[in-house]
Amino acid sequence: MSGVTPADLADHAFLLGMADGHLAVLARDCWVVPVPKGHRLFAEGDTARRFWLIRSGRVALDVHAPGDRQLIVETLGQGDLLGLSWLVPPYQWQFSATAVADAMTFEFNADAVRTACESDAGLGYQLLQRVMSAASSRLQATRIRMLDLYAASSTVRGEP
Amino acid sequence: MADEHYGEMGAVDKAGGPGSVRLMEAAALDRLFASLHEAGYRVIGPTARDGAIVLDELAAASDLPFGWGVRLEPGGYRLRRRDDTAAFGHSAGPGSWKQFLHPPREKLWSARLADGGFEIEQAGDDAGREAGPPRLAFFGVRPCDLRAIQIQDQVLGTGRGNSRYAARRSAVLIVAVNCTEPGATCFCTSMGTGPAAGPGYDLALTELVSGERHAFLVDVGTEAGASVLAGVPQTPAGAATIDRARSAVAEASQHMGRSMPAAGLRELMAGSHDADRWDEVASRCLTCGNCTLACPTCFCTTVEDVTDLSGDHAERWQHWASCFDLDFSYLHGGPVRASANSRYRQWLTHKLGTWHDQFGSSGCVGCGRCIVWCPVGIDITEEVAALQAEAQGKQAHDAETPGGAP
Amino acid sequence: MSQVAAPVLPARYQVVERQEETHDTVTLCLRPVDQPIPAYQPGQFTMLYAPGIGEVPISISGTGPDLGLAQTVRAVGAVTRALCACTPGRVIGVRGPYGTGWDVAAAAGDDLLIVAGGIGLAPLRGALLAALGHRQRYRRVVALVGARSPEELVFARELDGWRDDGAEVAVTVDQAVAGWTGHVGVVTQLLGRAEIESARTTALICGPEVMMRLTARELRVLGVPTARIRVSLERNMRCGVAECGHCQLGPLLLCRDGPVVSYEAAMPLLAIREL
Repeated sequence: MSGVTPADLADHAFLLGMADGHLAVLARDCWVVPVPKGHRLFAEGDTARRFWLIRSGRVALDVHAPGDRQLIVETLGQGDLLGLSWLVPPYQWQFSATAVADAMTFEFNADAVRTACESDAGLGYQLLQRVMSAASSRLQATRIRMLDLYAASSTVRGEP
Repeated sequence: MADEHYGEMGAVDKAGGPGSVRLMEAAALDRLFASLHEAGYRVIGPTARDGAIVLDELAAASDLPFGWGVRLEPGGYRLRRRDDTAAFGHSAGPGSWKQFLHPPREKLWSARLADGGFEIEQAGDDAGREAGPPRLAFFGVRPCDLRAIQIQDQVLGTGRGNSRYAARRSAVLIVAVNCTEPGATCFCTSMGTGPAAGPGYDLALTELVSGERHAFLVDVGTEAGASVLAGVPQTPAGAATIDRARSAVAEASQHMGRSMPAAGLRELMAGSHDADRWDEVASRCLTCGNCTLACPTCFCTTVEDVTDLSGDHAERWQHWASCFDLDFSYLHGGPVRASANSRYRQWLTHKLGTWHDQFGSSGCVGCGRCIVWCPVGIDITEEVAALQAEAQGKQAHDAETPGGAP
Repeated sequence: MSQVAAPVLPARYQVVERQEETHDTVTLCLRPVDQPIPAYQPGQFTMLYAPGIGEVPISISGTGPDLGLAQTVRAVGAVTRALCACTPGRVIGVRGPYGTGWDVAAAAGDDLLIVAGGIGLAPLRGALLAALGHRQRYRRVVALVGARSPEELVFARELDGWRDDGAEVAVTVDQAVAGWTGHVGVVTQLLGRAEIESARTTALICGPEVMMRLTARELRVLGVPTARIRVSLERNMRCGVAECGHCQLGPLLLCRDGPVVSYEAAMPLLAIREL
């Protein structure tokens, strides 16, 4: 037994409004996992066997660049889903994830959850709706960041 | 009611005070000009020159455009010979009184640049500094233009910045001229600005020409007007004459060639931002800005800082600007209003709509200059009618399809 | 020459301190040489004159000692480059203060939420300092700051001081650099984590127009009424005294009816293209 109850999960922002029955399925293969600062949860290229819901703290998604540099693309925190690639074949992490502040998480078994969704379409739909919402928000935010709004605009003519 | 002094026709007569109505022969205009000059005024009025009736300094009454009229149409202005000798039988000339009260170019101040800083040497320009602004008599101000001056008083004369406008304005004497013959492009009646002059004049003339008789009814508005009129040959106006003059003006209000809707322009403009009509007018509008130059209420300006070659001396100049300039709305690398659609929309919705929000009245006086001087003949009364029709059509459509049901 | 009687004349102010905030942004601390301009409210702006070059509208980012002003300038053109290059001792011109302020005092009793994007933190700094100066009047004071990158964060050295004075300050960047362990993402992504209570929040937003619209939209989704959201709007400004016509946004003359405008009034105007 994992010790995580449906009631524990119901409090998390990502699972808001999910039926108890569905929460119970998720709670079966779920553990409370503290992640200390600096710990890497997964690396670019690894198989995505797990995913997390962040309860507190901060996790950075990054990519490795030549010169031994990790470039952070986004940070996630309280209320966020960590991990999207576990839902999309070939189930391979596209980024690495590292805790940049001590974090507390619910950790899930990705294979088990995917299998449960195969047999319970209702659970699948509920989960995918929430995943889509998170992904959509992040896409919108990323598009805005690409606009580079805070940069000084190109001054063809400059000021008077 | 002030005392009226009766004398023989043609004798020098003491004018009545404000509120009195006098009669003056056209031949007495010379004496009126002399009286104005003696009171220290330079007379600015209409004169025929370069194929138009322009406003300029007049040395004598003979400079007035006696017998000249105009043929007006959208995008068209031609002088024509009248078959009488009326001096004020014309309208919608290319200039307006704003060029004297709100000059096209004006030095705001000059400064010496030195010692890592600057020192203002002089506020305003040389001419205005010691003697004050010149005393000007505006001779022949049409009722629409009188309203336009008052509108600019509200925009420029009451705020924190422009004490220069207020000073110039206080040195102006206004001799208005009521209209008895609307121009083809006039619509003052529907804008509530004419054809009779509203309050604000020092003297108001109504020209009476028939056969050999050429006279002016004179309404005395202020003490200053009475004082200038005092030395001019005149008589009290008789009831019949007064009636004839008032009727002629009232008749004029029946013969306007154009009109604007009586009410609701502000709301119409506020609701028209997405109208298709803007694309239509934008396909014709050259964004040349003639309308803003000719319009007697358009007031927008820009400032320019200049230095001399030595870099020791700086001046700030103000000059007229137009919302049709691409520069006008420049912000962060480009104009906010880039399309002709948006710039024409800005001009019209400001003039007829948001002017109310900003300054408490309409910005349009119905003088028709923008129609005449637009090179492609865009007629704002036509544009407003089209916007109104589009808005009503949209309203009808929305009423038939509640809640978006097809 | 009486500067006050002729308000279009620039008053002389001397640079007493020059603080480089980022590679292109400088805060000038100014002190009046002659008569000072009237007292300012946070959110108002002045027209700063770079002698011989020109004038630009710049929000006041704070007050200094001796009736001084703090103004934060970003070098994007000829005038602002000249202003950013000013060293202590240099005298520039100041006209103002003009426009409407944030009206921080009206949020007394509420949670005050400040959301700043980029250089937008400069006009909001005065509001934040005013609130922290009377800290007990407000419940929470929350500042969410978005910057392009950690090196382009203005007033970075002051953030801890604000926290010490009772503000909750969170910073996020669009692009991280090595060693940054803070948030990476847009400033609206901080809103959820701030756990605001919409019924008792007054929000002040300043930044690029797109950022303000999106932030206001998020706040409305969270239930903050538009009447309690205020934004600082910007248009081309020349005279600062409502006589040149340049700064119009529909019915508003932003030098007189703005730059701070309630989002209730601003929202329909910002929705119209090329207004």
